[in-house]
Parts: sequence; structure tokens; C-alpha cells
Amino acid sequence: MHIRVTRSGGFAGLTLHAELETSGRPDAAELERLATDAVTAAEPESSPVVPDGFEYEITVDDHTAHCADPHLTDAQRQLFERLLHEGA
Amino acid sequence: MKYLAHVCSIVPPHIVDALADSDDPEVREVGLRTRELDDQQRQQRLRAVPIEAPAVPPFVTDQPDRTVFDAGQSTDLPGNRTRGEQDTPTTDQAVNEAFDGLGSTFTFYYDVFQRRSIDGAGLPLDATVHYGQNFNNALWNGRQMVFGDGNRKTLQNFTASLDVIAHELTHGVTMYSGGLDYQGQSGALNESISDVFGSLAKQYTLRQTAEDADWLIGDGVLVSGINGVALRSMKAPGTAYDDPLMGKDPQPAVMADYVNTLRDSGGVHINSGIPNHAFYLVAMALGGYAWEKAGRIWYQTLTSGTLPSDADFPTFAQATTATAHTLYGPGTEEDAVRKAWGQVGVNGNG
Repeated sequence: MHIRVTRSGGFAGLTLHAELETSGRPDAAELERLATDAVTAAEPESSPVVPDGFEYEITVDDHTAHCADPHLTDAQRQLFERLLHEGA
Repeated sequence: MKYLAHVCSIVPPHIVDALADSDDPEVREVGLRTRELDDQQRQQRLRAVPIEAPAVPPFVTDQPDRTVFDAGQSTDLPGNRTRGEQDTPTTDQAVNEAFDGLGSTFTFYYDVFQRRSIDGAGLPLDATVHYGQNFNNALWNGRQMVFGDGNRKTLQNFTASLDVIAHELTHGVTMYSGGLDYQGQSGALNESISDVFGSLAKQYTLRQTAEDADWLIGDGVLVSGINGVALRSMKAPGTAYDDPLMGKDPQPAVMADYVNTLRDSGGVHINSGIPNHAFYLVAMALGGYAWEKAGRIWYQTLTSGTLPSDADFPTFAQATTATAHTLYGPGTEEDAVRKAWGQVGVNGNG
């Protein structure tokens, strides 16, 4: 599974990207579960964000969806933290 | 006005912050102690004001009603209540900084615009610090302020910057004034208004004229070693930073460089550079303290009740020009506003 995350917005307005291929990774099953849950709970279009909240774009293989602060699911939060190496 | 005599007598807060953030333990100790003293003195000044505790809290007060919570690196809000109005400073610098920043912002709005808190009716000001782990952000979630500790590779110390705190609380002011849709040009105006009053709160506290102000947003949050001076520059949008870890400041100053993007709610933190620069040009044209005239024109426009929530740049340009006319009649102020919008390439038809 190919997972790509883009975070934009935030007070600083800095954009972060991260992507990875799960095949061959020891944590592949967990990442695939998080990514599947995260993208399933996300919206097809950009979702409204609170002022200075982070906005996320998740692409799992060829499916892209969106979510934003403060309405992140646990799976989305965990996925973003795993890929971006920052709190979500 | 109470704070001014005191605040002006000390090292500017950003210098104290720089000291407190220093890698040198001795320098850092000096900076931290300075901030503690500052906190204590502010508290003493606050307590020196004779206030009779009413049996029933008044609906509208002239004093802030602040509560700072500690999320303890979790994402649970609001977290543990750590400091309220009746409490002495804590040993946690972030708690005290947030508390003081909320107070300075309250004072700015009350002294300059006679506005009592963000809703104009004494709304309690709640803030949570230490939100999440390496959470690289500060935000207004519609009810309260939320501060992360930063990732400490690019950003840190959100609580130490008054312009950050005032920026966030101004999102509340905008919301209670009817709101500006957080998308595209209205969203960039929403962001710009938070930068404008964030900067003005800082300028007011430091008693700086437009000429003396740095017009920077987030100058206290960049980690030492990052190639940059701040997150945004109202004076020269696009020049605040250029660093391998952060990229280059993407802000335009003029409409010709407007950035069309789907991200960041349509570039609300990017295209805010255009109205930011327009405000800067008005403030410089009028001179003196920017909150007195330029700030009054922007504040009156925001709170008039007639600004549509989907206002675009030309609508806001027209509205601020009309407000300048209403407040000051034909002449210098109205001309300065019209000219500034023209300089950034926004045709307000004013």
C-alpha cells in the first residue's frame, strides 16, 4: 500500500509532505490498518477547519480524502504522527 | 494603560525571550528570571488595583477572566486547570506566559477599543498549554486557545509571543463580529485581521510607533539557527524566512502575485500578505501609533456588522475606505486607505 499525507495550514502556514510504501516494512499491517481507517473516516472534499488548525490530505493508493482540526479520529491522528513525526 | 509604565521600563519581551531560549545555561537563567520578575510585578500591579469581589460576578467586567489549563502533552481539552485570576504564578513558564499574553491582549482591546474581552461582553478567556507531543501549532478552536510546545526543530515557544496570542484571540473577535469565512479571500482577510491586531497588541504593549514597529508576526517562535526573522512580515511579505527545514516564506505583497491553491483553505496564510501589506502602508502613511487611526479604521470595519462573511479583498478595501471617510471625513485618512489598496493591486472602487 502506498500512503501519502500532506499537511497544510496551521498558524505558521507551513506545508509538510510524507509518503511511504508499506510493502516490506515490519509495521506494514499496522500502517495499512491505520491508513484504511483514516481515509475511510475522511471526507472526499476539503473539510472546514478551525482558524489556524491543520488541514490534512490523505492518499491511499489512488484514493484521496481530507480531514482537519479539531475533528480527527484516533486513527488519523496516529497515522499523521507516524508519517510526519509531529503531534497531530 | 496600567501596564505601560512598567512594561516600558524593562527589557523588551522578545529580548527576554531570546535570553530565556539561549543554549547557554547562564544566559537562559537570566532570561527566565527576568520573565519571572516580570510576571510577579504584573501580578502585584494587578493586585494593587482595588477590586471589590462582587458576590455575583458582573455580566460585564473591566478585567479579564483568564484560566490556563495544562494538557500535559495529551490531546484532551481543556486539560487540568492550572492558573486562574486569583492564583499566583506557577512554576510552569508556558502557563504564566499564556496567562500574561491573554491579559495583555485583553488590555489592548479594552484600552484602545473599549472592547471587553473577545465577545465585547466579558467572555472568559481560556487557554490550554502543552497540547499534544511536538504539536507545532497554536490555534483557536472556536471556544479556547490551544498551544503546542512546538517540534523544537523549526518552531517553539508559542506562548512567549504576544503577537501569536493576540492573533489567536482576534480569531475570536472576528467570529463574534459576524465572522469571515475561513476560505479563499475572506479566509485570507480573517488571517490578516488576526495578524493586524496581533501586531498592534504587541506595538501597544511596547508603545511603538508605526515607524518603530518591526511588523513581524511570530518573531519569537523560530528556533535558533533557522534562517529567518519571523513567520510573516507585514512590511515585506515573502521575506520572513528562507530555510531548508521551512522552505521560503510564500507570502505575496500584491495581487499580481496572488497564490491560487486548494491547500491551506485556499492559501489563507499565504494571501493574507496582501491585506497585511495594505494595512502596513496605511499605518506608515498616517504615522504615529498605528492603533490610533489605521487600527481604528480596521476595527470599525470588522465590527460594523455590515461586513459580509464572504467578503473578498475589493469588498474589504471598499469597506475600509468608507469607514475612513465616516470616521475622519474626506482627506488624509481616506486617501491613505484608498492609495494603500491601490498599491497592493486591489481595486476597491472607493
